[in-house]
Parts: sequence; C-alpha cells; structure tokens
Amino acid sequence: MSISWTQKDLLEIYDLTAAEIELILDTAEEFKKVCLRNVKKVPALRGKTVVNFFIEPSTRTRVSFELAEQRLSADIINMSGSVSSLTKGETLLDTVKNIEALQADIIVMRHSAPGAHMLIAKHIKCGVINAGDGSHGHPTQALLDVFTIREKFGSLKGLNVSIIGDILHSRVARSDMWALLKLGANVTFAGPATLCPREFEEVGVRVCHNLKDALVDADVVNLLRIQHERQADGFFPSTGEYSQFFGLNRDSAQFLKPDALVMHPGPINRDIELSSAIADGPQSVILEQVSNGMAVRMAVLFLTAGAL
Amino acid sequence: MNTRDHYILTGARVVDPARGIDEVMDIGVANGIIVEPSSIRKPEKIDLSGNIIAPGFIDIHVHLRQPGNTGAETIATGTMAAAAGGFTSILAMPNTNPCCDSAGTIELIKRESERNAKVRVYPCGCLSKNSDGKEMAGIGSLKNAGVVALSDDGRCIQNNELMRHVVAYAKSFDLPILDHCEEESLKGDGVMHEGKWSVLLGMLGIPSAAEELIIQRNIIFSRMFDWKIHMQHISTRESVEMMRRARARGIKVTAEATPHHIALTDENIKKFDTNYKMNPPLRSEDDRQAVIKGLKDGTISIIATDHAPHTMTAKEVEFDYAPFGIIGLETAIPVCLTELYHSGILSMSELVSKFTVGPATLLGLNAGTLEPGTNADITVINPDEEFVYDVNTSFSKSRNTPFHGTKFKGRAEATIVGGNFVYRRKEQ
Amino acid sequence: MTNKTLIFDKSRMDEALTQISAEIISEFKPGTKSAKPLALLGIQRQGVPFAHRLRAKILELSGFQSLEGVLDINMYRDDYSLRKKKLPIIRETDIPFNIDDCNVIIADDVLASGRSVRAALDALTDYGRPRLIRLAIMVDRCRYEFPIRADYVGFVHKAPVDKKILVEFEESEGADGIYEMLWDKAGVFKG
Repeated sequence: MSISWTQKDLLEIYDLTAAEIELILDTAEEFKKVCLRNVKKVPALRGKTVVNFFIEPSTRTRVSFELAEQRLSADIINMSGSVSSLTKGETLLDTVKNIEALQADIIVMRHSAPGAHMLIAKHIKCGVINAGDGSHGHPTQALLDVFTIREKFGSLKGLNVSIIGDILHSRVARSDMWALLKLGANVTFAGPATLCPREFEEVGVRVCHNLKDALVDADVVNLLRIQHERQADGFFPSTGEYSQFFGLNRDSAQFLKPDALVMHPGPINRDIELSSAIADGPQSVILEQVSNGMAVRMAVLFLTAGAL
Repeated sequence: MNTRDHYILTGARVVDPARGIDEVMDIGVANGIIVEPSSIRKPEKIDLSGNIIAPGFIDIHVHLRQPGNTGAETIATGTMAAAAGGFTSILAMPNTNPCCDSAGTIELIKRESERNAKVRVYPCGCLSKNSDGKEMAGIGSLKNAGVVALSDDGRCIQNNELMRHVVAYAKSFDLPILDHCEEESLKGDGVMHEGKWSVLLGMLGIPSAAEELIIQRNIIFSRMFDWKIHMQHISTRESVEMMRRARARGIKVTAEATPHHIALTDENIKKFDTNYKMNPPLRSEDDRQAVIKGLKDGTISIIATDHAPHTMTAKEVEFDYAPFGIIGLETAIPVCLTELYHSGILSMSELVSKFTVGPATLLGLNAGTLEPGTNADITVINPDEEFVYDVNTSFSKSRNTPFHGTKFKGRAEATIVGGNFVYRRKEQ
Repeated sequence: MTNKTLIFDKSRMDEALTQISAEIISEFKPGTKSAKPLALLGIQRQGVPFAHRLRAKILELSGFQSLEGVLDINMYRDDYSLRKKKLPIIRETDIPFNIDDCNVIIADDVLASGRSVRAALDALTDYGRPRLIRLAIMVDRCRYEFPIRADYVGFVHKAPVDKKILVEFEESEGADGIYEMLWDKAGVFKG
C-alpha cells in the first residue's frame, strides 16, 4: 500500500494535517534506527542534489540537515547569504532560479524574512524545505519536538505542554504551537508580558506571565533561548531578572511533575533560561532532541524527494 | 475612440446625487457640455438601457509615477487604466521623482497630460520640500502652477510646529490638505497591521495608533485654523470614530476609504502574497466593518483607490522587502458595487456620491454632477454584469493587485470625458 | 463483486510451507552442534507473516527455534521517481540479533522482477555480513528482470501481466489463501 505524499515543499506546519504529521513521525522512527546502526547510510536520495541555502546563518540546523542529506546519499551544496550573489543585489527569485537551473532537486533554506519560502516555492520546481523564516516558522524543529514527546508519551492527545520564554520573536514557539494543537495537546505560553502576547489566546493557547502556573501541570516544558538584544531593545530589564522570574532552575523545578520532560531547541544560555543542573538532569531530553532532529530531517527529505 | 459632437444617451438610469436624481431619463451632450436633450437638433441616439449613468467619477488618490518611475506606470497608461475603471478625473499624487514641490514638475505633468492623458489629470503639490517634512514647499507658486490640493502622500509631516504653519498658509491659498496620516516612530519597520495576525505570523506590525494619533492632530489643526484637512485612506475603527465626532462638531475634516480596505482584511497576509501589502495595511474584520459603517453614515464621504503601481520585479520579493501598494483604478467600481451596493449597505445614489459629490466638493471642482452646463464627464456602469477579474487585461503597466481571479458583480461600461468616449468596454 | 480468484487454498499453502521448511531443515540441520545461527527475515509486508509461518513450521518439524526479524526495503528502492508521486510507506525494520556470520533466509510472498530482493540484499549488507543468504518465496511469477532466483519455492505460477498475486494469511487478512486479482490502469487493485 502506498500513500500519496504529494507536497514537494515543507513550508509550514500550519499547512499539514495531523495525519500528515504522524506520517512524518512514523517515517522518522525508521530513519532513527538507521542512525543507530553501524552503516548509517541508505541510498534513498542517491543521485539527488540538495542545496543548503542558509541566508540567515546557522550552525546546528545546517549541520543537522547536511548530515541527514549525507546519510540519504544525496549530493550536497552549501550556500550562505554572505557569499551568494544576494550581496550583489541579485533578487532572491533570480538566485533560486539559478540554483534550479543547476538541476538541484531540493533547496533547504533559512531566511530572516517571513514567507520567503512561500515566495520561492511558487516559482521553482525544486522542493523547498523551510529551515526557518524569520520569526514565522521552523517546521522541522516542531516535528522533532513532537517526535521527542511522542517517543516518551506515546500520544500527544491531552498532554500539557508549556513553552517558556521570548514567544514574540520565536519561530520555534509558533511552529510548535501549530503542531501541538493539531495533535491534540494543550499548549501554554509563558514569559514576560512584553514578550508573550495575549493574541495567542485566540487560537486556543493559554497565555500566562507567571512561571509557576506554567509548570505545575505541565507534562512537557520547552525553554526558549532569551536573546540579550531584547534587553537592549527594552523588552525586559536584565537577564538576571529574567532568570529570577522565568528561569528553570532547582527552585522553580520543584513545581514540575517528576516525569515531566524538559526540552530546549538550543543553544542553551546556561543559568539564564535553564540551569545546568536541570539541563543535564534526568528530565532533560535536550540531546535526544538533537538525535531526533536528524531522523526527522531524513524523513522530511525522503518524503519531499518522493514528491518531486 | 469615438468623437461625437451631439448625442443623447437614452434608456439608462441616471443617478446624480448632487441634484437628488435617480430615474431613467435622457442626457444630452453637445460640444463636450451637458445640455438639455431637447436642445439638440438631429442628435445621434445612443441606447444605454440596462446601465447606470453617473457624473464622471473622480479618484483623488492616484499615483501616476511620472516623472521618475515610468517603469511602473506613465500618465498615458495610468489614465487609460482610469478610463477603463470608469474615472473621468484623477488627482495625481505628488510623490513623483522629482516630487511636485516646484512649479517645474507641475508644468511637466500638465504638459504630459495634455499630450497623452485619457482623462482629466489634476495636479497635487507637496506640503513640504521633497516631502521631507522639514521645510514648507513653495505653496504659493504651486498654486499658480495649477495644483488643486496639497499632500505629502507617502510621507507625513511629523513636526507639529511645521504642520500648523502649513495649514495656515495653505488656507490662505485656498488649497485643501490631503494627509497620509502616519506617526513614523509607531509605524517603525512594520509591514502589516499589528494585531492577532501579525502575532501569529511573526511579522512586525503597524499599530492602529500610528494612524489615529495623526488624525487627531489634524482634527485639532483643522479646528484651530478652520481649514479643510482630508484624511487619506483611513482604516481603523478609532479613526472613523474620531472623524464622526469631529464632523458632528462641524470641523472641516473629510476622509476617504479605499476599495481594498472595504473588501479585505489582514488575515489574507497568511499567504505572504505581497499583493496584500499596502500602507495603511489591511486591518482586522472589526476595523473593516467600522469603515463600512463610516461610509454608510457619511462619516467617510469619499472613496479613492490609492492606485499604486509597482513593477513585478519590485513586488516579487520577500514580504518584508516589498514596497507598499497595489493598483486599483480598474477594480474600484467592481469591488464597491459588489461589497457595498449588492450587499445592500449603500444605495446606488449613496455609492455614486462617494466618487462624485464627495471629491468635487473637497477640491472645489465644478464637477461631480450632470447638471446641464457642466463638462460632459460621464461614467456609465453596468451594475449587474458578473465577471471574473483578469489583471492581464489591465491597461496599467503594472499587475500588483489582490483581486486577480476574484468574481465581481458590476463594472464600468463606458467612460466619457468632455463628450468623448475614452473607454467603451464592448470595443475592447 | 470481486475480480479476486482463488488459485491455491489453505491446504495447498500448508503443503508448500511444510515442503519449504523441510528443505531448509535438510540443508541447514538446525539445532546440531556445528550449525551456525539460522535466521528468517520477512520482507515487509507480506513476507513478514510468511517468515513467521516458516519459523513456526521449522519449529514444529525439527524442534528448533530459529531467529526472526522483519526488513523494510523502501529506503533502498530504485524506482522513487517513477512512482508518480505515490510514495511507499516506510514500515518497521527490526533485526534483533547480529546478522554477522548468520545463515539468513530472506522470505517474501511473491517473486516478480526481483528488484525487491535486490533492495533487500543491499539493505541487509548495510546491517552486517551474513555467512550466506538464501531466498524463500511462496509464489514465483517468473517475470524476472534481474538475475535473481529463489532457493526455495512454494508455487510456480505464471499469471498474466494484468493480474496481481495476493498471498493472504489468517493472522493478517483473516484467512489463508493465494489469489489472482486484476490491476487497474492506475496500478491499484480492482475489487
């Protein structure tokens, strides 16, 4: 029996149905096994060309995608914004059309402008995978997050998931939210009032500005990185105050259920949003998230390549 | 186009709100002037049964892009689009390059219009030099050059001290002020309405307050100097409310709404299609309903398109980087008929007045009516024809519209300027 | 109303299972002191219950419990771009033992072109180095596109091109039986 995964692109979680998300997760499970055996490679994308176009720089996500592509036996090209013709004033569309003319099959792109992937996906035959577009979305992060949760709990239905930090600027928070809501989880956003907008209540998210409220019934807690630039922009007075009121450390962690998971998309600001004790403690699945990210990205690349 | 000297338009329903007329009757045209039909000997009869005849529509917010950005539009192509949209007169916005802060640029526009414009083009001068909001433009010499209004459209004078002087000075030259109401620090780098959708999409928002603060400022100055200040493209509930209260007190402020603010909301931005990016941005459904209510109760007396052509190269970029603006001359009548008339919100007479009496009164033009003796500027509308808008048939050089593929009911059928048919749909 | 016709019934299937198991036992003599580990690996999907039945039959006939695993070959296919956007589902691969130096018997329900077996061989060699690999097939259609032949065959049945062979098992489809069924133009079952 076959399924029709007919989408050549993965642009945002908002577009996917719960069944499609589950399919990606099921596929990722098998790819995770490949990553754990001796020969960590399959020929599924042999002969396919994947271009990693990271206009907004990244190390972790790019390495994760690169390795996933190699394990699928694809040919890879890495391009970054600073050395591309974008600096010479070439438009984004012209740049990706040039990539398409090189017979690339898939473009994995990270861009600081929301919606950039929608723009290019309309104009090229290549598959487009969103590795992050501004503050709008980061679908593969959301997929690896729900994969990690599903691995531990079996199903996300009715689970309480709290995401804590700078929600306003977070593409992880937004993509996580859609994935969690579609899979039936209860979502809570928590953070300083300046960084945690109430508008999310209109799509069914609980918003609170008190850390304890977000922790007490949570089955999963996902900490977001707080950026120092936000302090300079006036969103909160100091990282010390942030840490005191919203950091997860031994004191605040006492409100957590004993089997609650602690997650973080990385990189961690140790002892600001998350203390070392908790980050390295038994409830933390942060490193598993990284492994799962590999498997999820392999699954996404495999499914996308099949739909081209 | 056909040049006729003497003819009678018969069989159509004549809607002339300036004279309180809404009935089937004949309209006579002789030598470019409207005359009593009975005064014409051996007239040609043109049967327009099934259509509506209105005074020539006036669009007081059009960017013709000439001089300086003729890749997107020219006076020739923009006025052809105006004619195809049913407009007989347009007010050309001054943010050309160079902008209309000097008599020379006005002269260029007038000369080019005489040669190539399909419809009447009224020039508009800048409020400040280069629209920079630092020094007053040469308003007196602009008046001599022929401008009928002043605007810094695209920009907005932030310095209130300067603005008060501009208002007082403009009044002495009898020039109404058309203001693009925007508080710059609140607008910041916003690209869409600040609200639920900007939060969900992770984009920088433009708060309603950016428009409302300047509207309130302008209401105060209008009251202080007892002068005509017109708020361009108002878009928020609070803006409409402030205008309602100000007009109730007799303050000489007017407002316009655009067809896109009547028809669309910010939810459309979730497609990241830059054809939904304009300034002021599409707002929430609640704001849209307030604008419609403002049109219904007369708070908003004018509809204007803010026709803003941009080349595909300019618009087909990341949403954050795209310029603001959409074309609108050819979709104004279809959108307004569909959203306001066929939905029962405005009567035909009320709708027609937004394009005729409203603008003519603001600019002090001898237009906006079919009274015998006035120029034979006539808009013929087919109110019931259903069609799907295809932007590729547009006469504009540009294609940046959100309405491509949209179904409408009602459209411009023919446009007459000075007695000449400058547009006739059946011949296209 | 169905185009599905029975070609071999439960009793015939049981005969085939018995015969194949006997051949395997005869070749490998499992349970004797010098015998290397014997493993049955079912190819997803219908090879899985087939391998399971063989293992049970070998146990019944020889008293010996061989190893069992399941293998999905969809990461090793050669026809992704030809499948007109119908992607294969990746099912479970579970090989809970070390295949190095093992006698591995790959089990699949139908042998047609041989490409699935080719993929299984590539997959298997990415898991280790078996001592040898044999192929057990329930129905051989003889539509070979590769030089791959089965070592143990239940039935040779040259069905026409427009018919698919279905091998069904009680534990997965409710009853044992081997059927012929019409493909339709889109490559989907009719009936």
